[in-house]
Amino acid sequence: MVVDEIISAARKEGRTYLTELESKQILKEAGINTTEIGLARTKEEVISLSREIGFPVALKIVSPDVLHKTDVGGVKLSLNSEEEVGKAFDEIISSIKAHEPTANIQGVSVQNMARPGTEVIIGMSKDPQFGPVLMFGLGGILVEVLKDVSFRIVPLTRRDAREMIKEIKGYPILEGYRGQEPANIAVLEEFLLKVSDFVERKPEIKELDINPIFAYSDGAMAVDARVILEAA
Amino acid sequence: MKDIVKKLDRAFNPRSVAVVGDKREMDYMWLRSLANFQGRVYSVQIDEKELPGIKALGVKNYFSLLDIPEPVDYVIVAVPRAVAPRIIKECIDKKVGGVMLFTSGFAETNTEEGIRLQEIITEMAREADLNLIGPNCVGIFNPKIGLRHAEDQYYGDGGPVGFISQSGTHATFFSLVGALNGIKVSKSVSYGNAVILDCTDYMEYLAEDEDTKVIGMYIEGVRKGRQFFTSLREIAKRKPVLIWKGGQTEEGTRATASHTASLAESPLVWDALIKQCGAIKVDSLEEMVDTVKALLYLKPITGSRVGLCAMTGGQSVVITDAFAKAGLEIPLLTERSYQEFASFFTIIGSSYRNPLDISSNLMPMDNIIRCIDILNEDENVDSVILELSVAFLTRIARFIPIFFDELIDALALYKARANKPFLTILVSAHAETEAIEARQKLVERGIPSFPTFERGAKALKKVVEYYRFQSL
Repeated sequence: MVVDEIISAARKEGRTYLTELESKQILKEAGINTTEIGLARTKEEVISLSREIGFPVALKIVSPDVLHKTDVGGVKLSLNSEEEVGKAFDEIISSIKAHEPTANIQGVSVQNMARPGTEVIIGMSKDPQFGPVLMFGLGGILVEVLKDVSFRIVPLTRRDAREMIKEIKGYPILEGYRGQEPANIAVLEEFLLKVSDFVERKPEIKELDINPIFAYSDGAMAVDARVILEAA
Repeated sequence: MKDIVKKLDRAFNPRSVAVVGDKREMDYMWLRSLANFQGRVYSVQIDEKELPGIKALGVKNYFSLLDIPEPVDYVIVAVPRAVAPRIIKECIDKKVGGVMLFTSGFAETNTEEGIRLQEIITEMAREADLNLIGPNCVGIFNPKIGLRHAEDQYYGDGGPVGFISQSGTHATFFSLVGALNGIKVSKSVSYGNAVILDCTDYMEYLAEDEDTKVIGMYIEGVRKGRQFFTSLREIAKRKPVLIWKGGQTEEGTRATASHTASLAESPLVWDALIKQCGAIKVDSLEEMVDTVKALLYLKPITGSRVGLCAMTGGQSVVITDAFAKAGLEIPLLTERSYQEFASFFTIIGSSYRNPLDISSNLMPMDNIIRCIDILNEDENVDSVILELSVAFLTRIARFIPIFFDELIDALALYKARANKPFLTILVSAHAETEAIEARQKLVERGIPSFPTFERGAKALKKVVEYYRFQSL
């Protein structure tokens, strides 16, 4: 199983933080829809992978040592051609080398650019008394400012999933406030149930943020994710 | 019989109780509290100075639990902490049904000696599978059999409310304040440091107890959190469970890497758990009493539209504010209701839109009943709320002394025939003494009253939410 391989590889390297690439591979296995993503180590690989996935693409640095990718020039978005992709690859690598000379660079991830949607977050953390707890809320950068989130203890029932979505103050936004594209609530419920089921089966996972998830009227897509493992 | 019932039955329904270490310094509070116990009471005390006082209470004393010539179901231990391990040993050897350690000075003191002693008794009790309640608590209250932990608690008749409290004070206050409000306990337990038995065990026990229809809990912390969650989820479907979580502040700052972990503060997780299980959250003793009262005395409803009847204009405005703020709706009445009001209601100085201001319609008293009858019949209204202004009723009583008593009689009749939940708000203003008397009379007739609009509104809202959750 991919998940166990990823976890044991991280353990071998003494890591508890999984990269975005690893996190998304894990989510895919859990049944969560994510952006198409692959790892490229060279400029040539970046270009061929981009062609495979289809333009426009995003490139992001893959390094267990880089936690805030944007801050160190590790993210390039909306790249529309092979030339742009090649240039972006060079820029990312030199920027990381300048900012974090000791960082272990595994490569660069290539992903398709997801169509923008309503940003939500689904996360998991462990309560010392009650174990895994799921969080849902408006995502992106809003989550930290507004803290418009709700919680439920794992395992979730469908009713729990539905109620925790409805509970947030921003729920009208998900319903399609003033002509905005509404979010498909059933799909988000399904995401929550899958994450609940997954974290119950994988006690090695300590914390999880899927943020943002782009919610659409006909689906949803995990755009960024972070998985943190329990200390071995 | 379920395992938990088999396990705790002797402790909760003892036929013999022993008190270890009661003394004059405490005015023999434990032996006194057992004055009306329906079974046998024994004392265990080795201090010769205490023996005459124990004898004077008519209680037989032994020098050891093991000397008591029959099985002992429940033991109350009030010895100094250093003696506790020896008494626990005797309890194990005597095979008692349960032992409650009133003794404190254990881990809660955060001292080396306290922690060490707690570990010792915990280990002994665990190994022997002893039903240890506490330490640092007041244990079981079972009024039906006269098993009390305070002399001023009632005995004889019990009620339908099981109460579980980590604190002795809240257990005692709930029984006493509850009694003033028409709420009686079936069985309650204060369980302190919870080294062996924890709130989950007591909750599972009371869930099986036939006398217990509602369970209230005051919790500071819980061991076996997963089991608590699973049990609560199941039990709340069968009986209303109210949870008052003490200690809402967060345990320091935690180093977290994810948004989720940094946002998942303990009070929020508790709130989620209570919601998810369909239990009812309360935040104070008053809310506990109010909400239990609403559960016991109001007909179950899921509708949130209220018909409000106040005794003056100013009150009709603020009663509306209070109920709206609690999340309840104040609808317009039906045309039929308005026509009925138009046939008798004096509108000079009054109004009947909803809220009603009935200041000019207090007499004859039948008018008051007529107003709430119309609200009860109105299909836009789910429950009926009447303000009883003690201050104004006291004025009327100066020239019609029996007015209030007759009103209560009429309200009791109304309540018996009304098909919608009915509650009163007993606004005392300056007439506090009269309000206490009035509340007592209402309690005797089974009419629920709340001391402020806000408290009544909140309690109603909580039961509406509870029934809504359970109905889905």
